[in-house]
Amino acid sequence: MIPASGFSPLPVAVPLLGAGALAAIRRWASRAIADSIGIAFASVTLIFATLLLLHSLQGTSVYWFGNWHPRGAMVIGIGFVVGPIGAGLATLTALITLLSLIFSWRFIDSGGNHFQPLVLVFLGAMCGFVLTGDIFNLFVFFELMSTAAFALCGLKTEEPAPLQGSFNFAVTNTVAAFLVLTGIAFLYAATGALNMAQIGAAIGARHDSLVVFAFTLLTCGFFIKAAIVPFHLWLPDAHAVAPTPVCVLFSALMVELGLYAVVRIYFSIFEQALSPHASTLRFLLMSFGAITVVLGGTMCYAEHHLKRLLAFSTVCHVGLMLVIFSLQNSLAIAAMLAYLLAHALIKSELFFTSGIILHRLRSISERVLFRRGTGLRGTACLWFIGAAGLAGLPPFVSMIGEAGTSQAAKIAGVDGISWLFFFAGSITSAAVLRAGMHIFLGAGENPLTDRAAEVGEMPETTPENKKIFWYHFAPPLFCICGAIALTFLPGWQNVLRDSSSNFANQQAYIHTVYSTGSAASAQPEWNEEIPSAAMHGFFAFIFAIALAVTSVFRAKLPHYLRIGSFLERGFRPLRLMQSGHPGDYVLWLTIGLVVFGSVAALALVH
Amino acid sequence: MPHVLASLPYFVAGWLFFCGLYGLTTSRHLVHAVISLAVLQSSTYMLLLGIGYRTGGTAPVFVDISPGRLTVDPVVQALMLTDIVVEAVVVALLLAMVVKAYEKSGSVSPSDLRTLRG
Repeated sequence: MIPASGFSPLPVAVPLLGAGALAAIRRWASRAIADSIGIAFASVTLIFATLLLLHSLQGTSVYWFGNWHPRGAMVIGIGFVVGPIGAGLATLTALITLLSLIFSWRFIDSGGNHFQPLVLVFLGAMCGFVLTGDIFNLFVFFELMSTAAFALCGLKTEEPAPLQGSFNFAVTNTVAAFLVLTGIAFLYAATGALNMAQIGAAIGARHDSLVVFAFTLLTCGFFIKAAIVPFHLWLPDAHAVAPTPVCVLFSALMVELGLYAVVRIYFSIFEQALSPHASTLRFLLMSFGAITVVLGGTMCYAEHHLKRLLAFSTVCHVGLMLVIFSLQNSLAIAAMLAYLLAHALIKSELFFTSGIILHRLRSISERVLFRRGTGLRGTACLWFIGAAGLAGLPPFVSMIGEAGTSQAAKIAGVDGISWLFFFAGSITSAAVLRAGMHIFLGAGENPLTDRAAEVGEMPETTPENKKIFWYHFAPPLFCICGAIALTFLPGWQNVLRDSSSNFANQQAYIHTVYSTGSAASAQPEWNEEIPSAAMHGFFAFIFAIALAVTSVFRAKLPHYLRIGSFLERGFRPLRLMQSGHPGDYVLWLTIGLVVFGSVAALALVH
Repeated sequence: MPHVLASLPYFVAGWLFFCGLYGLTTSRHLVHAVISLAVLQSSTYMLLLGIGYRTGGTAPVFVDISPGRLTVDPVVQALMLTDIVVEAVVVALLLAMVVKAYEKSGSVSPSDLRTLRG
């Protein structure tokens, strides 16, 4: 057991202090000063998070605030559990936030310098969310993160669309917070504890209706944040209206953190209790995941509003991560985190590029942009490389996640997951390729469109300066280089695998929190699946190109080959589901909760 | 019948929860939707207080009572206070959005706010 590092709370404290300072001087500070301060605080956060990660590689440490160490089995303080996975996610969060702030440097409309302090609050909340070991603390950071996100989403209040997007986002995610809080209240009623390790130890193997009810509420609450179908309806609306750097934070970080919370809670509290029904639970989670993949992918291809298209691709990929998690072994968690990392980098890159498109061409609708991007070679390269990354084409790091998943699926005895990878990779990549072919290559004629794309989006930057600078290209380039370099960087996979085996082990977690020491078990290899994963990625990309071609050149093809344009028209029931009405979204959310809850009640209680 | 009364807060919490959900689902006025959210939230207060209640317990202020005295659970009250603070922020933010929406579109119906769909 290594001593807790004294700077454990700093990744939370530094950005919050920065936000306070920025909010205080907001009125008097010029844009350049506010941006510099924001970037400085994000950089310092990144440094502390990285130091924390390096420290945690020697072993997970627990930081008790005010030195309130546990007395026996009773936890009386609030603790941060700083493991490699939590610290790693905090580092990723700080890095992507820093890139977003660099991207918005004197460029994105900051709403009177409200943008920078809100982003710092968001950063601090996300760091706290991944580090905390206390379930009520998790709720508080969840709410802090959400509230900053609502405000960031509705930053452009000059138009009605951002109000709609952020209102729906706020209503659904606040309901999510109440579900989580109710779940926490039930856990407290059952165990009298709020520390996750203590709750887990107190629940033990008990799986009566109270425990299953709490599990349902917590899981569904975080599923709303993670945009799992049918809880996902807020996500495209919010992404379509948020400024580009905010979209990056939502898609690359916030949504994944929702899923991270589900995994964290499952493995620290419910693993032992629900293990007798592991196969039923796997079926339940995998069904939700697979439906999310299929629906997200289908809707992604049917969208012509670039940000909504990317938003649905996030839905699709988060569904895939849920499917990986449903395998419930430690290798699956390692694979899920590797995939999460890859997705965060690639999706950030694509959103940054969409921001450059919106800035240069003043529109975000595929049909309006048709043939208008033919001169933008650099932007086109970034866009197409991002498409290749979505498909998992080697050498992008997504294939390592897929390789780990194949190995984990073999251990769990589940077939067919590589088909889901193939579907998700190829259809989202095809949608991005199709948009790219229309915009940058000017291929085909008369692109299809849809209602949301016709509404479009007002440019978020000032029109007098259409010029683009190196620092707008630096963040997407950095993301691409990162996503490729990680594939060749040796060693991190093994670290991830070993730390996942501790993360996905309730007893190990409890031992860590109570500082009683734990033994790591030997882990299976996952490198042997990499060649086949690379092949899958390659074929997915080829298939994506073929699909995009059947869409773009539909006029030249016989009817039976127009698969792409058939998919592109979309399915009416799915479009109707995305009605834009907060009441409908809450209704779908209730339906999802009832379905999940009744299956859980029937199958998991005794 | 003490046991029926003891479970009353939970029934009230459940009832408020469903009232809030129903209100949100059927709302035709944005302010009504925000208030429904507040009703939904009060179910969590009810639940937390119900969980922390001890029959015969006094207020958890230990200045003038003996240490062994039965009190209601102060932890849930702290949770509830945090909950109130957090949710006051959300409700204020939402109401500000409603005001903005009314300024921009002259309507407070969620249906008129819909510009993005499909």
